[in-house]
Amino acid sequence: MRPYLAQIRMSLRLMLRDRSVLFFSYLFPLSFFFIFAQTFDAGKSPAAMAQVIAMVVIIGVLGNGFFGAGMRTVLDRETNILRRFKVAPINAAPIIAASIVSGLVAFLPTVFLFLFFGNAMYHAPLPHSVLSFLFFVCIGVIAFRSFGMIIAAVVNSQQEAQILIQLLYLPMLFLSGATFPVSIMPIWLQNIAQFLPATYLFEGMQSIMIGGESIRANWFAVFALLITFAVAMFVSVKLFRWEKEEKISNRAKLWILAVLAPFFVMGVYQAKTQQNVERSRILTRNAMRNRATLYNSAKIIVGNGTVIPNGSVLVRNGKIAEVFQTPPSNPKSLNADIVESSGKTIIPGLIDMHIHIGAPGGVYEDQKRYMDPLAGDRRLAAYLYSGITAVRSTGDFLDSSLKLRKDINSGKYLGAELFTCGPLFTAEGGHPTELIKTFPQSMQQTAKEQFVRLPKSPDEARQQVDALKAAGVDCIKGVLEAGSAGWGLFNHLDPAIYAAVIQEAAKDNLPSATHTGNAADVKEAADAGTNSVEHGSTLDLIPQSTFAELKQKNIGYDPTLSVFEGTADMASGNVELLNRSLLQQVGPADLLSGTRALIEKSKKRPASEFAPMLEHSRQNLLAAYKTGLTLITGSDAGNMLVIHGPTVQHEMELWVKAGIPPAVALEAATYNAAKVLRMENRIGSIQKGRDATLVVLDGDPLQDITNTERISQVMFRGERISRSDLFDQENP
Amino acid sequence: MTNSTAISVEDLHKSYGDFEAVRGIDLQVGTGEVFGLLGPNGAGKTTTIEILEGLRPRSSGRVSVLGFDPAVQTRQVKNRIGVCLQATNLPDKMKVHEALDLFDAFYDRHTDKDKLLSRLQLTEKKDALYKTLSGGQKQRVALALALVNEPSLLFLDEPTTGLDPQVRHEIHGLIQELREDHRSILITTHYIEEAERLCDRVAIIDAGKIIELGSPREIQQRVLGHTLVEVTTNEPMQVERLPEKLRDEKYSVCDDGRTLSMQSSEPAALIVELVKWIDQENLRLVDIHMKRPTLEDVFIELTGKRLRE
Repeated sequence: MRPYLAQIRMSLRLMLRDRSVLFFSYLFPLSFFFIFAQTFDAGKSPAAMAQVIAMVVIIGVLGNGFFGAGMRTVLDRETNILRRFKVAPINAAPIIAASIVSGLVAFLPTVFLFLFFGNAMYHAPLPHSVLSFLFFVCIGVIAFRSFGMIIAAVVNSQQEAQILIQLLYLPMLFLSGATFPVSIMPIWLQNIAQFLPATYLFEGMQSIMIGGESIRANWFAVFALLITFAVAMFVSVKLFRWEKEEKISNRAKLWILAVLAPFFVMGVYQAKTQQNVERSRILTRNAMRNRATLYNSAKIIVGNGTVIPNGSVLVRNGKIAEVFQTPPSNPKSLNADIVESSGKTIIPGLIDMHIHIGAPGGVYEDQKRYMDPLAGDRRLAAYLYSGITAVRSTGDFLDSSLKLRKDINSGKYLGAELFTCGPLFTAEGGHPTELIKTFPQSMQQTAKEQFVRLPKSPDEARQQVDALKAAGVDCIKGVLEAGSAGWGLFNHLDPAIYAAVIQEAAKDNLPSATHTGNAADVKEAADAGTNSVEHGSTLDLIPQSTFAELKQKNIGYDPTLSVFEGTADMASGNVELLNRSLLQQVGPADLLSGTRALIEKSKKRPASEFAPMLEHSRQNLLAAYKTGLTLITGSDAGNMLVIHGPTVQHEMELWVKAGIPPAVALEAATYNAAKVLRMENRIGSIQKGRDATLVVLDGDPLQDITNTERISQVMFRGERISRSDLFDQENP
Repeated sequence: MTNSTAISVEDLHKSYGDFEAVRGIDLQVGTGEVFGLLGPNGAGKTTTIEILEGLRPRSSGRVSVLGFDPAVQTRQVKNRIGVCLQATNLPDKMKVHEALDLFDAFYDRHTDKDKLLSRLQLTEKKDALYKTLSGGQKQRVALALALVNEPSLLFLDEPTTGLDPQVRHEIHGLIQELREDHRSILITTHYIEEAERLCDRVAIIDAGKIIELGSPREIQQRVLGHTLVEVTTNEPMQVERLPEKLRDEKYSVCDDGRTLSMQSSEPAALIVELVKWIDQENLRLVDIHMKRPTLEDVFIELTGKRLRE
């Protein structure tokens, strides 16, 4: 132990006396720190600061390892210093250990300085787990120090060292993310980057700082770096040379490959799984969401009924940091990108409470298009493009909707947030089992498992609800539908079984939604205590007593006027809905053309046939409004002519035409919807602390509800969405 | 192997691939003896020494250093010997006393470092940075490091190479002091006078073999056995008129015939004869010299090459 301690003590002393160490360990990285911090405008975004810190740490660690350890050792050999140690009764281990320890001691204070300046001067929060961060950086330093030692061990001269160091240093510097983000590189280059140890170091730091991950989430990188360290230590002690006259054979130089071996394995693994490429995409997403923005001087429709005629919204770290009742006197002092918004109106992101993400809302001519595995993601992108930032699936394949939800929530894919009920609870032979028969034979079994739940008893119903809770659904959907002549007749769910479904959901505070076909269904749903009535009734008018019960039990009312209009237009041959500008921007062209063609060649029924259905819906909505119910907006997108995209805008337009004030429609589409999702503390209104998810409009929707389609900008969780890029995203 | 033997080598061989660097060396260095190893570059000196120091494995032969086999008991050997390599350096910013402390930590045996510093006249320099030292001071530091473990056997590899004559003289003084401690010392050197001055015995190595071994004087006598006598006269000598018995000796003439050099195993008698003859020739004796052969002469005689080329 004594030789180790003596050598370490000596290395530290020499380091303190060496001005070049001070320069390379402190002055150099710190100047880079400030230059990068200025360049990346790090004051406006903690993520940018995290990026800057990761960059300068990488630059420091690479320099520390390759030059501080590698080149230093080569120079000590060339100047006959190591020669003197050769005759002492020690091997290379104390010398290598001292080099690693002194490298660590030299570097760590710099890391503290980065964190300190980042915090003090650029308001960046400290990493969630400072210890994880420091520990990870330490592992990086010792791994790269030992890299340096192995380089020293396999080169025969200073010139060779220069070449080898540059060969390793430059790619690691440029491809690891230390100089520019990995996610902007072409995918093949991203894959190459996965073979470089520095990439893992960079991503680990990023994910600890931005992603709030701990060291455990990065065990893979830690493990690889530690293996590298162990192999490099072993090999460099073995191959250590004390004199420049001792040369090493070219074959022994291949040992450097052994040291890099863990990263060959990791690179191959990553090339296969794309795990890290995905991860860096998510980190970049988080970084985008971290920028600070001030929407200055706009009309603000808060969502909960209040309106700020001329105020400002400050967004920081993906959240609404402040809502100003009047524009701040010195907006620059807020350290945010300022978006001047005079004449614009800001509303919370719109919410569609009733969609079926698995269905297109029209027909394709090419049957294969129905099987497109990416259709769901694309539909969520279409919603986001249209300013609809959250949607609730009230009946879809369980696994695929959960996966979609994950794609969005992880940040891997950019689209509207998805809440999902998964499969629908209904009776054998009840709605929508008739749809399963229209699926290809091969899919029917899967559909039965994924799309519906057909409990035979209250007990089975409860078990099935519990299983869905365990799977992680956001809500439970029950169906009460007897159908009618002309639309089909269905088996109606047994009242006891239905009640069991609703009560079991309520037990864990999971919201339930109930499809209703007529006034009796609405009454049954109200009695069972569901959380929202979907559709209401098209067949009859709902009695006032039922509305009173809905009101008393605070049950949401979702009239879904859109789906009835769509059904009517489809049957009567009206293609007007396909001509809407925003829909044409987001709808797949072949879906629009296929649907148009089908309608145009179908036999047309007179529109008057559908007038009673539409009239019942409108009357029921008006009555619900007058009773003071919690109204929510759902479109039932996925059904004919209700195509995923600007659905909520059209639903609101139908409401206003039916006599609902625009302000009420907007509240239904934002705050009320969030309340029924039980997410009102996070989304649905423009208040301090909520998600910074909002839509900037070029006109005032209170004047004209169709102004909700005149979108100037969409912000989703703090990111100013580049709407035109939404459809060019890499596949999730 | 007796206790009075510090180094014992029998039939040592070392090959690097096809090249045989050491081809059967035998030597013994006694305790307290100063032993010199002389030879031109590439003779096998360094290889031999490095085998003894435990830095290099041998191909065959028996080697014992302080009773240990340096190829097997490497640590024990290194722990007990002191080595002063040629042309080593320390980091520029290391202080003299720090260097001693550092190397002290590597060994099991320790010495009084203050005494060591004062003995090597480094006390005033103990806080000086290595880079500020003169060449002689650096060499004294190297010697101090070699002595930090109180070694009973000291290897000095070209201890004065590259130093100016005055410093060399100084180092010689130190080495002579060291031999008084009853330490065994093995010196390799290019300087003949160094070997003549410091060594009890020397071995001359050439092409991987010892070609001569003994005390410097013994070797001189054994190899050449002749002393050079040089006479200078006022007028040129007529060497063809040398008496019969003198003409058998090797001689040469220079200086327009005014200087005659002649070798003899009996120089005193030769001088008498020469002076007599000069007198007979009516010449006046201007100068007379007697020159013993040096190790260098021996070396050239034995190997046909000079030590430093």
